[in-house]
Amino acid sequence: MQEQHLQDILRRLPAGVATLEGPELRYSFVNEAFARLLNAGELLGRTVAEVPGPWPADLLGVMQQVYRTGLGHVAKACPLCDDPTARDEGVYYDVTLEPICAADGTVSGLLLFVVDVTVQEQARQRTHELAIETRRLDARLRVLSETAPQITFTIDAAGRCEYVSPQWYFFTGQPRTSDLNAIWPLLIHPDDRLRVLYQSEAARNSGTGWSYEYRLRRHDGQYRWMLSRALPELHTAATPPLHWHGALTEIHDQRELAEALRRGEAELRFLADSIPELIWTASAEGFVEYYNQYTGDYSGLTTAELGPTGWINLLHPDEQAGAARQWVHSVATGEEYEGVFRMRRHDGRYRWHIIRARQLTDGQGPRWFGACTDVDDQHRLRQVLQTQYDELAQANRDLDTFVYTASHDLKQPVLNLRGLFDELRRTATFHDPEKTQMLVMVDEALTQLDLTLQELAATVRDQRGLSAPVEELDVRHVAEEVLLGLRVQVQQSGAEIELDTDEAPLLTYGRANLRSVLHNLISNALKFAHPDRTPHVQIRSFRTADGHPGLQVQDNGLGMVLPDEPAAVFQPFTRQHPHIGGSGVGLYLVQRIVSSRGGRLEVESTVGEGTTFTIYWEEGTAADHV
Amino acid sequence: MKHIVYLSRAVRPLSDQDLQELLAQCRRDNARNGITGILFYSHGNIAQLFEGEDVVAETLFDKIAQDGRHSHVQKLIDRPISHRSFADWHMAFHPIEPAGFEALQGFLLPQHVPAPPETLSIADATLVELVRLAVFGPAAAAPDTATPA
Repeated sequence: MQEQHLQDILRRLPAGVATLEGPELRYSFVNEAFARLLNAGELLGRTVAEVPGPWPADLLGVMQQVYRTGLGHVAKACPLCDDPTARDEGVYYDVTLEPICAADGTVSGLLLFVVDVTVQEQARQRTHELAIETRRLDARLRVLSETAPQITFTIDAAGRCEYVSPQWYFFTGQPRTSDLNAIWPLLIHPDDRLRVLYQSEAARNSGTGWSYEYRLRRHDGQYRWMLSRALPELHTAATPPLHWHGALTEIHDQRELAEALRRGEAELRFLADSIPELIWTASAEGFVEYYNQYTGDYSGLTTAELGPTGWINLLHPDEQAGAARQWVHSVATGEEYEGVFRMRRHDGRYRWHIIRARQLTDGQGPRWFGACTDVDDQHRLRQVLQTQYDELAQANRDLDTFVYTASHDLKQPVLNLRGLFDELRRTATFHDPEKTQMLVMVDEALTQLDLTLQELAATVRDQRGLSAPVEELDVRHVAEEVLLGLRVQVQQSGAEIELDTDEAPLLTYGRANLRSVLHNLISNALKFAHPDRTPHVQIRSFRTADGHPGLQVQDNGLGMVLPDEPAAVFQPFTRQHPHIGGSGVGLYLVQRIVSSRGGRLEVESTVGEGTTFTIYWEEGTAADHV
Repeated sequence: MKHIVYLSRAVRPLSDQDLQELLAQCRRDNARNGITGILFYSHGNIAQLFEGEDVVAETLFDKIAQDGRHSHVQKLIDRPISHRSFADWHMAFHPIEPAGFEALQGFLLPQHVPAPPETLSIADATLVELVRLAVFGPAAAAPDTATPA
């Protein structure tokens, strides 16, 4: 019964059990697991060699050796499979070979015990692979942490340093044998030490990471700013972290730079706020972002009240449109901005300012820097002087013209007088004994008067350069010279000047004459501009159908009423627009100059729309007596 | 009443269809809320001036500031006004296919944008000119040169 029971247990054992008998190793017992393993039908009575088993080839030899020597053997982790493809799946068995001894101690057979150790074997192999991988990762981490410019470290919950990368020793110059935990706090700048220790401890107690800056002593004794950042190593949310890993980065230079920038900016801001001028900066798009303190003091408005274009509101209403137009133009082109404008003070008084703005282009993109300088006193003084100068110059010109005209106009009466006197001497009889002497005296006086008149006219002519010899002139060049002299008037009126000399670029004429003509016509066009529109002056040098040169100056100004007698316009001291300053000799002079050289001046005008002057030159003739 | 001017950047470029939908939606909403003004769009740059009752304008700006379709919203001006300067609400941009757009209500080609209304102060008109310049760039045709105020 017990024997039967034992057989049952053996048969059902999950491991393969078999016995082999005799030197030829015949199967004498096979349990179910073993039969399944071989899967070769009935085994009992057959020899091992007869049944192709999944054994490795050398196992049969080992069996025979065990039988011969009587010494047991265990083949560990044998891949028991004759099918090479199945072997890859990795089925492994421990095969135990034990000799069965007869009563006399001689070996009579073998006991085969086959246990499936696939799982154990796989686990062992995986462990091996993991160990290799771990070594690899460890090496990688070490190389990485030792090549990074930062100092890396690991600190435990008590604040003790468990690991620090070699860079720490390079940086601090401490020997490898030094006690990190003792020396590290001592290397922190005394002003930062307590704070750092407190912040580190607080972070460790609360289980969080940290990021703070402090000064650490370098090997050369210099304290350098470092950024310390660390994070706790968290495995589960429930357990508090045991380690913190982190890095120390040297940020000294960045910090110094940032500090210098901050200081520089604060100093510049302070400087800008201290200057008694209106200073502002604007974005590339032209929106003012900063007004200095003085701007607020002067205008009585805050930066918010002024707004991105609020400075325009400070200007005199008459000047706002021109200033705004000029600003938009500067922003669009990047050209410098400059103008003289009246700016309203907080008390409502306007003072003259030069507004200048320039664009700075650097790495941060373009920005505008502007300044408004108070030039009120200078401007007023200059205005007074300019007015006086203009008046004097005008009076001087008027006098010249008067003398010129008078000398010319007196020539005819003198000529008449001489004729009359000659007639009188011929027909009348004088009884005075001193008649001969008197007649000579009158004759001489008349000649003297004629000479004096001629000299007067010549003096004026020479002084004004009107009798200069003709030369070949570049009309555009002369016109640009004249415009340069009139630039203040051009700027103030915002006039658009169109200069076209392509048709007749050259003119043979007196330089001073051409300049005088252009000056008078252009300054008239600017002076008599229509207040409601941008003055537009066209200057055109042309040729007539028969090849004669001509000049046209056209404006869109006030225009004038042309009298029935066209010549009246050009009478001296005639003023078309009494409300605008002037002596009224300009056009008279132009006409005299043009006609003195054989040319003629024509005018067309519509009141409220504009005036066109057209000159038909006569080239090359010298000025005769005007 | 107040008017608000802002500049912003679209998060991604707007297609013709996006712009058309935006135009239709804004026309509808703005007409209902009594919002008038003008919007400029070009290459992701956006600028808008709008005017309306204080609460309506402020609500609209808050909504615009939170709209995820654009970023870098920069408010340039937010001022009370005594009267409107725009009679309607318009949008100006360069469509890739301008063919269908000319007929759309409230659409303007950038070169057809009129000069700022004369009822705006010169400072505010300059601001509108500058945002127009910022959106379309100096190369875009100058507005019809109306006589300055």
